[in-house]
Amino acid sequence: MLTLDHIYKWVNNGGRRVFLLNDLNLKVEQGEFLSIMGPSGSGKSTLLNVIAMLDEFDEGEYYFDGEAIHELKPKKRTAIFNENIGFIFQAYHLLDDLTVYENIETPLLYKKVNRSERQSRVADMLDRFNIVGKKDLFPHQLSGGQQQLVGIARALIINPKLILADEPTGNLNSKQSEEIMELFAELNKEGTTIIQATHSESNAAYGTRTIHLLDGSIVKN
Amino acid sequence: MFTNHIKLGLRKFKKNTGFFFLNITGLSIGLAAVISIGIWIYDEVSFNKMFPDHERIARVMQTQTFAGQKQTKENQPLQLAPVLRDEYGSFFEAVATSTFGTDIPVKFGETKVIGHGSFAEASIIQILKPDLLSGSKDALNDPSSILLSESLAKSIFGDENPVGKQIKLMSSLEVLVGGVYKDLPDNSDFQSWKFIAPWRLLAENQQYEERLGWGNSWFQTFVKTAEGTSMARISDQIKNIKRERYEDHDEAEMFLFPADKWHLYSEFENGENVGGAIEYVRIFAIIGLFILLLACINFINLSTAHAMKRAKEIGIRKTLGSGRKQLIQQFFTESILLVLLSFVIAIGISFLTLPFLNEITGKSLQFPWLELWFWISGILLVFITGILASAYPAAYLSGFNPIETLKGKLKTRDGSGAMRKGLVVFQFSISILLIIGTLVVTNQINFVKDRPVNYDQELLVSIPINSSKVIKNFQGLRQQLLASPAISNVAASDVKISNTQITNGGFNWKGKDPNMNDSFYTLRATYDFGKMVNWNIVEGRDFSREFRSDSTAILINETAVEYMGLDNPVGEYVQWGNNGNFKIIGVVKDMVTRSPFDPVDPAIFVLHYGGFLNFVNIEISSAGQLETAITHAQKTFTSFDPEGVFSYSFMDEDYKKNFVAEMRTAKLIGTFSGFAILISCLGVLGLSIYMAEQRRKEIGVRKVLGASVFSIWQLLTGQFMILLLAAFVLAAPVSYFLAKEWLHKFAYKTSFEPWILLIAAGLILMIMLFTLSYQTLKSAMSNPIKAIRTE
Repeated sequence: MLTLDHIYKWVNNGGRRVFLLNDLNLKVEQGEFLSIMGPSGSGKSTLLNVIAMLDEFDEGEYYFDGEAIHELKPKKRTAIFNENIGFIFQAYHLLDDLTVYENIETPLLYKKVNRSERQSRVADMLDRFNIVGKKDLFPHQLSGGQQQLVGIARALIINPKLILADEPTGNLNSKQSEEIMELFAELNKEGTTIIQATHSESNAAYGTRTIHLLDGSIVKN
Repeated sequence: MFTNHIKLGLRKFKKNTGFFFLNITGLSIGLAAVISIGIWIYDEVSFNKMFPDHERIARVMQTQTFAGQKQTKENQPLQLAPVLRDEYGSFFEAVATSTFGTDIPVKFGETKVIGHGSFAEASIIQILKPDLLSGSKDALNDPSSILLSESLAKSIFGDENPVGKQIKLMSSLEVLVGGVYKDLPDNSDFQSWKFIAPWRLLAENQQYEERLGWGNSWFQTFVKTAEGTSMARISDQIKNIKRERYEDHDEAEMFLFPADKWHLYSEFENGENVGGAIEYVRIFAIIGLFILLLACINFINLSTAHAMKRAKEIGIRKTLGSGRKQLIQQFFTESILLVLLSFVIAIGISFLTLPFLNEITGKSLQFPWLELWFWISGILLVFITGILASAYPAAYLSGFNPIETLKGKLKTRDGSGAMRKGLVVFQFSISILLIIGTLVVTNQINFVKDRPVNYDQELLVSIPINSSKVIKNFQGLRQQLLASPAISNVAASDVKISNTQITNGGFNWKGKDPNMNDSFYTLRATYDFGKMVNWNIVEGRDFSREFRSDSTAILINETAVEYMGLDNPVGEYVQWGNNGNFKIIGVVKDMVTRSPFDPVDPAIFVLHYGGFLNFVNIEISSAGQLETAITHAQKTFTSFDPEGVFSYSFMDEDYKKNFVAEMRTAKLIGTFSGFAILISCLGVLGLSIYMAEQRRKEIGVRKVLGASVFSIWQLLTGQFMILLLAAFVLAAPVSYFLAKEWLHKFAYKTSFEPWILLIAAGLILMIMLFTLSYQTLKSAMSNPIKAIRTE
C-alpha cells in the first residue's frame, strides 16, 4: 500500500542538522495493523505525519498506492489524503463548537457528500459505536474514552483505506484503552489498514507487526 | 456546507460574546455613519435631478470682466430670452426668463400670507414640468392667472378648491389661481418656488421693457435644450450674443450651465468652473470611507488577536480534509454574517438619528426605505465590508500549519502582531487627523464669527416694504414710528446691511483707467442710516440734513478708495452713468456686509428716497422694549399699508445666515470625527483585553515578584502610548498640510496654530488612557495566584 524509501527529514538547530527521520525505509501492505514503538522524540509522530502527508520530508521517495507522493503538488497530496486516510489523535482534537453528530459529519461536508447520505452514514457510525444518545452533546460533556470514540468514528466516516493513530489511548485509562484496541483489531479484521504509534507494549501487541524507532531510524522490524 | 457555516458562525458569536459585542458595536456604528453619509451624499448628488430630462435643463450664465477680474454670474437681461428663441430656436425646446425668487405678500379675502416664488415666462412649465394637481398648466399664458404650489395653496385656501379664486399679490396685482402644482422637489433649486406668476404681469406693472436694457442683468434665463444637441456646442454658438448687442460690456461671454451642476459646481474663478459643494461631498465620502476602514480594522485586529484561540480548530479541520478555500469560505461567511447583523442595527441607528442629521444639515432627508439604489448599495456595502474585514484574517488564519497548531507550537510573535500595530497606528492617525480637522474648522469659523464688522447689528430690525405707499409716505411713517419711546431711530434702505447684494457699474472718476470695467456694491439709504448702524467715518463727514446738496453726495468705503486709486477722495466727483455727478463727502471704514469669509469689496453709499427702497430699518431703544417696539411697528405699518403683510427680521440673525453653511460643515465633521474616535476606542478596548489575556501569566509572575499596580499599568499602557506617539508623528504633518490647503480658500482666515496640535494630542491621549484603564487596571489589580495556577 505504501512505501517509504530512504526518507530523511531534518531541522537546522544552531547550525547543526538534527535528523528527525534518518534514512528510513518502510513498506506497509494492505490489511496490515502496524504498531510503531519507540521512546519520546524517536520520530514516531513525525513518521505518522509524513505518511499522512501533513508534513514534508527533505529527501527520499514516498509511494502511496503506486503514486509518487514526493513528486505531487500539495493540493493533489491533500486530495489523496482526504480520500484515503483517517487520522486519530492522542488529544482527540474534537471541534469544541460542534456536537458529536456534527464532528463526525464534518469530513463528509468537506467531501461534498449529499445531505441524505451524510445522515445515513453518520447514523450508522453512531449506531456502531453505541453513541446515538450522545449525538447532540458537545465534546466537553463527554469522558475521554467517549471523546476518543467520536474521534475514531470521525476518522472512519470517510471509509479510509488507512487509519493513522498517534498514541490513540495515551490519555485513557487501561480499560478504555483495551476497548479502543479491541475496536482497532476488529476494524483491521474487516480490512482497514492501521498504523498506530504507541508507547505501550500491550497496545502494540494488538498489531500484526511492530517496528521500533530510535533517532528517526527503524532499529527493529 | 453554507448553512453549516452560518450555524457555526452563530454558535461562535454566542460563545464569544465579548468579541462579538465589540465587533458588532464597532461595525454597526461604522456602517451607520456610512449609511448616513450615503443618504446625505445621495441627496447632494441627486440635486436638481428629479426633473424630467434634467440633463437638458440649463441656465444661461455670463462671464464679465470687472477691473481685470472675471466674474461669472447667472443674472441676465430680459432681452436675452427673445434672442435665444428667435435666432437660436433650433437649439432649444424652451427658453424662459424669470425673476429671482422673492417673498411677496399674498392676500385672499382676510387671509394674508408671505409667499416665495417667481414671475416667469410660460415656457418655464415646459422646462420644469411640474406635476399639476388641478387647473391648467397653460395658465401662465394668461397674464392674470397664477400657479400655486400645493403647500402655498393649502396655507391660503385650506381645503377649498383654489382654482378660479382671485388673490392679490403685493397689495396691487390681482390674479386668478389657474392651477395648483405639487411642490417642486426638496432637493432642487426650485424647492422654494411656491408660486409661479406670469412674467408679463410683473413686466407690464414695472414697465421693465421700457426701462431695462442689455446692461440690466436683473433676471435669470432658463433653457431646455433640444434633443440631440450638446450644451458645449450651444455655449460656443451663443457666447457673443451680448457683446454683439451691447457695446459697454464687450467682454461679456454667455454660456449654458447645466442644471446637473448647479448645486455641486457653483463656484467660478476667473471664468472657470472651480467646483463648489462637490468638495464637501468628497470630504464626507472620504470620511465615510475612513470610518468604514476603522471599523474593518477593528474586526481584523480582533480576529487575528483571537486567532490563537482558533488555531486548534483550524489544524483539526485541515486534518479532517478541509482545504484552504473551504476555511476561507468559512471565515468569510462568519464575517458576512456579522456585517449583515451590524448592517441591520446600523439601519436602525441611522434611521433613528436621521432627525439629528437633518438638524445639522438643514435638510429634510427621508430614510430611503423604498429606494432601490439604497438596498443595492446596502448589499454592496455589506459585501465590501465583509471582504475588507475578513480578507486578511482569513488568509492569515487559513495559512496555519496544521501540525504546528495541534502541537500548540504556533509562534505568537509573528507577522500579525506587526500588522496589528500598523493598523492601530493607522486608526490613531485617522482619529488624530479628524480631531485636528474639527479643531481647525471650528477655530476658523469662530475666528470669522468674531471678525469685527465695523457697524452695529444689535437691536436692529428690518421690515420689508411691500407697497409704494410706504415709500411715498415714508416721512409720516418715520415720525409715527419714532413716536414710541421703544424705537430710537428709523431709516430705510434698498438692501439689508447684513447682506448687500446689489452691484452697479458704469462709474467714472478723475484718473480712472479708461479700460477699467468697474463694479461696486451699492447701498441706497435715507438719512440717519449711518448713525443707526453706527458706521465709522474715517474721513470727511456723514450725510446730513443740513446740507441740501447731499442729494448728490456719496460715501465710499476704504476699499473703494484704494480701488479707485484716489489720494484725497473727499471732494472728488464721481459720474454714475446717467444718474448724475456725485460728490464724495466721506470715507466709511470697511464693513463686513456679506459673508465674513470673503474680503470686503469696494462699496458706494448713496442717499436715496425713491422707489429703490426695500426695507425700513428700526433701532430699538433697549432689549427690554423689543416687544413694545415690534407691536408699535406693526400697528404703524398696517395703518400705512393695510393690504400688506407685516414681517420683520433681526439684523444680527440675518448676518449669521451668511455663514450657516460653514457652521453646518463644522458640526458634521465634528460629529463624524466623534464616530471615528468611538470606533477606534472600541478597537483599542478589544485589543487591550486580548493583550492582557495573553500576558496574564506574565503579569501574575511579575506581581508575585513584587511589581506594583502602577508598574503593571505602565507595562500594559506603555505599548499603546508608543503607537499613539507614532500615529501623532504621522498625522501632524498631514493635518498641517490639509489645514493649510483648506484655509487657503478663505480671504479672512486664521493660521494653523500649534495649540491645535497640543489640544488634539491631549484629547486623544486622555480618551485612550480612559479606554485602556478598564482592562489594564483590572489586570493590574487581579490576584496573581489565580493567573499562575491556571497553567
